[in-house]
Amino acid sequence: MLGLEDFIEEAIGKLKSDIPRKAIIACSGGVDSMVAAALASKAVGDRLLAVYVDTGLMRKGETAEVEAMLVDTGINYKIAEAGKEFFDALEGVTDPEQKRKIIGERFIRVFEKEAKAFGADCLVQGTIAPDWIESGDGVRDTIKSHHNVGGLPKDLGMKVVEPLRDLYKDEVRDVARALGVKASERQPFPGPALAVRCLGEVNPENVEVVREACHIVEDEIQKAASAGKMELPWQYFAVLLPTRSVGVQGDRRAYGKTIAVRAVTSVDGMTATYAKIPLDVLDAVATRITNTMKSQVNRVVYDITNKPPSTIEWE
Amino acid sequence: MRVYVVDNGGQWTHREWRVLKYLKVDSRIVPNTTPFSELADLDGLVLSGGAPSVASDAGLMGNNGEYLDKAEYPVLGICAGMQFLSEHFGGSLGPSVNPEFGRVGLKVGDHTDLFRNLPSEFNVWASHNDEVKSVPQGFVVTASSETCPVEAVRSLDRPIYGVQFHPEVENTENGPQIFQNFLNIISERRR
Repeated sequence: MLGLEDFIEEAIGKLKSDIPRKAIIACSGGVDSMVAAALASKAVGDRLLAVYVDTGLMRKGETAEVEAMLVDTGINYKIAEAGKEFFDALEGVTDPEQKRKIIGERFIRVFEKEAKAFGADCLVQGTIAPDWIESGDGVRDTIKSHHNVGGLPKDLGMKVVEPLRDLYKDEVRDVARALGVKASERQPFPGPALAVRCLGEVNPENVEVVREACHIVEDEIQKAASAGKMELPWQYFAVLLPTRSVGVQGDRRAYGKTIAVRAVTSVDGMTATYAKIPLDVLDAVATRITNTMKSQVNRVVYDITNKPPSTIEWE
Repeated sequence: MRVYVVDNGGQWTHREWRVLKYLKVDSRIVPNTTPFSELADLDGLVLSGGAPSVASDAGLMGNNGEYLDKAEYPVLGICAGMQFLSEHFGGSLGPSVNPEFGRVGLKVGDHTDLFRNLPSEFNVWASHNDEVKSVPQGFVVTASSETCPVEAVRSLDRPIYGVQFHPEVENTENGPQIFQNFLNIISERRR
């Protein structure tokens, strides 16, 4: 990143003046929020509390993984359990924008509660340029409402502080490496988490299917990359489609759901090409998903569109 | 050198700012409602793309027309920015016969300025529903593609340039070089 050291110094200085008292940082464990947390912690030390929300929508083993990273940083942190609230709020909702707005609002309600308990009047967020660009504004179309932008209520009783607003993912990773942030190489993961990878209704059953499928996609692709069969894509995951189709499993008719595998190459997330994954790797992914998911999933497809015209996530 | 980016609401307006910043230019993003008097001292101006269909929503393009009429420095219009300047100077627009989203094979016909020292064919990324149907008098087409006859234009008597594709996105080959060529045009004029 151009001017990396200057950026870090200026960001810490600005955070010091932006946070006169206490702040919480909305921390998903991704590279953006972990970098924002590291900067804010350097600026205000113990006057910062990192809040991770367990939405019930995170990936397999993710909460434990993020907690270990937070312990390692030495920053005050709190894991807020909110799975039931999120699932209740999402019941019967299928529209992608509605999902994102509901999730954004749920997040804020948790942060308000935690800020009050900690006595904080600032909310630090790891918002980066694509988040506010794609969320739309007076002149820009809304492509998708990012939870940290589109979900903010007008009456929020906290000052929002966003030190990474002008950065893209590649630049955030550079800052992460310079600061020794462990999340520096984690693949991007959307704030609304698996809710936007469950097309149709988000319920615990569907989330469990896409969670396992995402785990398989990540595991098989990481194995293939370690074996030198391919480069690790920028982002790679599974999407559960609400479409059912006919199959045959063990001489019996199957009528199950479909998993779409999505993997892209990108630098900044603003344009992307689908990853040219070797066919034998795709084959291993498809076989493992259908064998593991049995009657739930009997078809796996690979998404071969670029951004534009598609986006990286399906919702 | 100061080159600002006029925000017409594009998804990649901020990327234009980033590319200019990386080319060590003093740059800022300004709303397209900014009066020209505040931009009169610049060295160059980029008119960003945007969601408006220029032909039908010209009102959303703010003061772009004033900038084009008054600027004595070089101006580069990108996507909707190029469409707007083409129509402003008397050309015509319409829905694309083949809308382009993503990779486009660019064929450069004129290497005089924006495409100086660049190959005659390379891949660029585009994202547009409309296109320039006829270029204004005093303008020439400098690049085209199989699916869009007007991918780039330049004025013959003023330093005004337009590209239908997006040199600011990572996937466009030679993108930063196209911006550097625009900056070189600015430097050469100042000498």
